[in-house]
Amino acid sequence: MDGAEESSTVVCDSGPLIHLDELGKADLINDFRRVYLPESVLREVKRIRPAALSVVKFESVDRSEIDLRPVDSLRVLYSLHEGEVEAIAIAMGGKAGILLCDDMAARLAATSVSIEVHGTIGVLIRAIRRNLLTKNEVVQLLKSIPSRTTLHVRRALLESVIRDVEK
Amino acid sequence: MSKQVQADIPDLLFQEAQEYVNQGGASDLSDLIVEALRRFLDTHAPEIEEQFIREDVEWGLNGRG
Repeated sequence: MDGAEESSTVVCDSGPLIHLDELGKADLINDFRRVYLPESVLREVKRIRPAALSVVKFESVDRSEIDLRPVDSLRVLYSLHEGEVEAIAIAMGGKAGILLCDDMAARLAATSVSIEVHGTIGVLIRAIRRNLLTKNEVVQLLKSIPSRTTLHVRRALLESVIRDVEK
Repeated sequence: MSKQVQADIPDLLFQEAQEYVNQGGASDLSDLIVEALRRFLDTHAPEIEEQFIREDVEWGLNGRG
């Protein structure tokens, strides 16, 4: 990275961490200034994809440190999981400027309270802007999402994204 | 008109759903599953997915942070 632009502080849900690690690119998360992992997210990643945690530098946030009350109604309305609730609450508390999340319902919930949210695809493409990966490397990674990851993206949409990146 | 489907549901999730029905939260398990499915499809509509992915592309290529 050339240092021309400061990176953001993020709070990460389990999805991007797991999906990027499935692509062998969990290290891209280390480019953010600071990465917070809520307790429930940490527990989930430990269970599903523990290897990802040895790659990413993060600060865990205990549930007791998080004010969950502002997320009570969102939790019910969008059927959010505990990790998503904690991550949104951390972002709402102002500790992180961006939420990294791939779950559509959680993204909807976060957007409804004006939290900036991006997912695995955004982090991959951002790597071009941050000079961490070449355009060609990112295109190859995007193409391999259906075969190498558990991230579900409609094929036509993914192909359209790849065309946009290739431009 | 409706279709019958067979699905594997984890034990704990099934127990939780059954308990919800027993408490009167839904008329039966079938109603609960239809409602859950409808809500999932509402929040995972293709246009919502497309909007989020487009935002990711724009942020990835031209955003900040």
